[in-house]
Amino acid sequence: MTGATLYSVSAALSALLLGAVASILPAPVSGWLTSADVVTGLAVLIFSAILLVASMINTIMLIWFERKMLGRFMDRRGAMHVGYAGLLQNFADGLKLFRKNTFRPQEADSLGFYAGPTAYMVTSMILFGVLPISTGWSSGALPLSLLLALAIFSFAPLFIFVSAWSSNNKYSLIGGMRSAAQMIAYEVPILLAVVAVVIVSGSFDLNVIVNEQQNYWFWFPLLLALIVFVAGMLAEMERIPFDLPEAEAELVEGWNTEYGGMLFAFFMLADYVRALIGSILVVLLFLGGWTMPSWVPAAATSFPLAGIFWFMIKTYAVFGLFVWIRASLPRVRTDQLLRVGWNRMIPLALLSIVLAAVLVTVRCLPFLGCVPPVGG
Amino acid sequence: MWINMGPQHPMTHGLWNLRVRIEGEIIEEVDPEMGYLHRGIEKISEDRHYNEVITLMDRTCYVAGLAWEHLYIIAAEQALHLEPPERAQYIRTLSDELQRIASHLMWYAAFVQDIGLMTPFLYAMRDRDLVLDLFQSYTGARMTYEYNRVGGVRNDLPTGFTDRTRKVMDWIYARFVDYDHLCLDSDIFHRRCDGIGVLSARDCVDWGVTGPMLRSAGVRRDLRKDRPYAAYDRVEFDVAVADGADVTARYLVRMEEMRQAVRIVRQTLDWLDKNPGPVLADRLPRWLGAPYAPVGREGYLLKRNFPTGRGFSSVEEPHGEAQAYVVNTGGEHPYRVKFRSPVFANIAAAQKYLPGYRVADIPPIMGSVDICVGEVDR
Amino acid sequence: MQPDVLRERLGPILGPRLLAVEPFAGTAGRVRFAREGALELFRAVRDTLGYRHLAMVGAIDWVDHREVFYVAWSDEERDYLFLSTDLPASDAHVESATPVWPAANWHEREAFEMVDVRFDHHPDLRHLLTPDEYAFHPLLRSFKLHEPEELEVKTRNV
Repeated sequence: MTGATLYSVSAALSALLLGAVASILPAPVSGWLTSADVVTGLAVLIFSAILLVASMINTIMLIWFERKMLGRFMDRRGAMHVGYAGLLQNFADGLKLFRKNTFRPQEADSLGFYAGPTAYMVTSMILFGVLPISTGWSSGALPLSLLLALAIFSFAPLFIFVSAWSSNNKYSLIGGMRSAAQMIAYEVPILLAVVAVVIVSGSFDLNVIVNEQQNYWFWFPLLLALIVFVAGMLAEMERIPFDLPEAEAELVEGWNTEYGGMLFAFFMLADYVRALIGSILVVLLFLGGWTMPSWVPAAATSFPLAGIFWFMIKTYAVFGLFVWIRASLPRVRTDQLLRVGWNRMIPLALLSIVLAAVLVTVRCLPFLGCVPPVGG
Repeated sequence: MWINMGPQHPMTHGLWNLRVRIEGEIIEEVDPEMGYLHRGIEKISEDRHYNEVITLMDRTCYVAGLAWEHLYIIAAEQALHLEPPERAQYIRTLSDELQRIASHLMWYAAFVQDIGLMTPFLYAMRDRDLVLDLFQSYTGARMTYEYNRVGGVRNDLPTGFTDRTRKVMDWIYARFVDYDHLCLDSDIFHRRCDGIGVLSARDCVDWGVTGPMLRSAGVRRDLRKDRPYAAYDRVEFDVAVADGADVTARYLVRMEEMRQAVRIVRQTLDWLDKNPGPVLADRLPRWLGAPYAPVGREGYLLKRNFPTGRGFSSVEEPHGEAQAYVVNTGGEHPYRVKFRSPVFANIAAAQKYLPGYRVADIPPIMGSVDICVGEVDR
Repeated sequence: MQPDVLRERLGPILGPRLLAVEPFAGTAGRVRFAREGALELFRAVRDTLGYRHLAMVGAIDWVDHREVFYVAWSDEERDYLFLSTDLPASDAHVESATPVWPAANWHEREAFEMVDVRFDHHPDLRHLLTPDEYAFHPLLRSFKLHEPEELEVKTRNV
């Protein structure tokens, strides 16, 4: 699209900053400071910082979005008091959690108890670096970025189980086991649904997958895969109706029963990071990423931030769907969840692979015209 | 592995401890531990004036205070050989049914929360608030009413009350459709609730289980029909019965009971509109006649000319059949008051309806029992 | 069912152990029996008279003796039946009703801890509402509410 990318902006910023600093320093230091390696290094740091701050703000706004939307579903208004329409409520909550004493049960295993939430948080945050948000707004064209994203995404059960086990609480342990069983059961259909996308797009690179959707979005030909993917993502994100690992009615709070203060905030935040990542993946794989609908005038498409704008709209819409589901469905039982996962989701995902293969072979669809050649 | 579900656990809806032995996720054995909320209400009653016990009745079951007041009042009036005026009987009937709606809405809110539904919880709580507003307008309180008196009720209904109540009833009656949509139309609801927590009619009778749990097993038994008290023989309603004896059946019974309660409330309102009159019996002895309980202890020292007596009453309160036994030996205080709470028996039967199901089934099953720990521990 | 009918039908089964049948408002009648005939009476009331549903079991401390009462309900009669027996305070025990009515289990546990009545052959006679090591029987008349200090000291010694 336009020439400016997030990286080029941060590189320019880095060069400017280092140049300014170098101009007041003696020659050997200033020469080292303005060398290409240092400029690149600082550029990467600035890039990461911008990405981190942007994604954290988005995550927190996502919580606000969910609270307001749930409120509307329940005939109430949600957070109203801090900031305009409660916009700053979650920052206030975060500050409160930050100030709270972090305690550990006496019999809990200290290493696992602290390492679990931290690792859960960190692995969830890493995902933001992998996913492209718009053209030029990614950390680079990784040829296997989709696989990498899903691989990092599936770290979570391990860390949940570690923190559940080390808190030395029966409820936590049961919640952790459920969580591990559930995530492993739903990894498989998710990966199979992704295979359908890969077959049609011909690449594991998320940039390529989005570019393949310039003509039409994948949700229509791959509706079955989309359904499997969304259901699997709901299970991976542990949201109602699949939130049994933290089913508060029987397991108190499940695997994070014993956590409080900042460690609880880690879990909470990481959950929403994963919800955001899940919505982003749905948008990237099925809803055309940052591509715009054909009725958008050309002048609007060339606006620098138009891609991001559309991307965010779609992401929040997908998350809104998740909130809607949360507001209207009860929770299923573990055995029912696993049975649906293994007995229904996997056959459906396999069927969607077959459909994708047929689509690629036939190359043409009614209403949509012909698919461009596979593999780019 | 033994798990302690309680005393602080979201499933308990009160303060008690359900000890569960599980094998994997399957329940093998349960052992409920009660008594965390024991306040010795029966003992305190031995030291209280007859009208002062009413205060304790509101605390016995904090979601069905008026029904428990009614239960005690019938027994106390029988023990003291008093007869309340007819208008008071109708007001008590009205109060009982409004209380039933409020209590069942509370149950609904807690129950759907147990199976993970968040939205109907707030719907039901908001609608319950409308009923509580009605209570506030004629008893002055939203939870602890102290409205009944030995020999009648404390005060008459305020002006405009019947019209306001009719409006609320119309609104709530229309809302029941939404409630059913949110639960019964959901496939997940049926997957969670159908066929779990089954307690057959025979086991219900053996274990003394009453109320909606018994009626959900297909037994058509309702004290309001079988042994009508207050004005229940003068109003029309149907007994809600369902088959299946499972959680869904209990849900259906309670929803239908709320509809019937609305029906009864409308009839009593019509009667109350047409028949003004006294609400407290005249010729009460001095120490009972004051509309508000006397404050000082001097009032009790008066020699009373009342014969001794025993009173036994049974009332279909929202959770089931409650009984009260009041022994009057001629003193200022009842000699002994004994209450039987329906939830007491319903929880005691947990060892029949819990084993064999999963840990995840405990919240819906215990939610369908409609637990009020206050009246179990008393 | 009227009191005289009750006397007629229960008399042959219990003999002299049936002491009296009195009318009692709100119930079919108040059957007073000697504790030796407890189990036979329970069986007869449940199987012969059809009072299959036990509503409650309670006990009253009359200082010189203790009274245990049972309330049963019959679906056919649509009525309650009130049974009561007097036990000497020095030796207050009666046969448990649990073999006949399983529902009696918790009620008898409560009567045991509150009024100090022992129920023979009860499957699980533990305290229900008070802690296991609680040494008092609160519903005895000798348990005074107005002496909190004394009670506190005693509790600490337990």
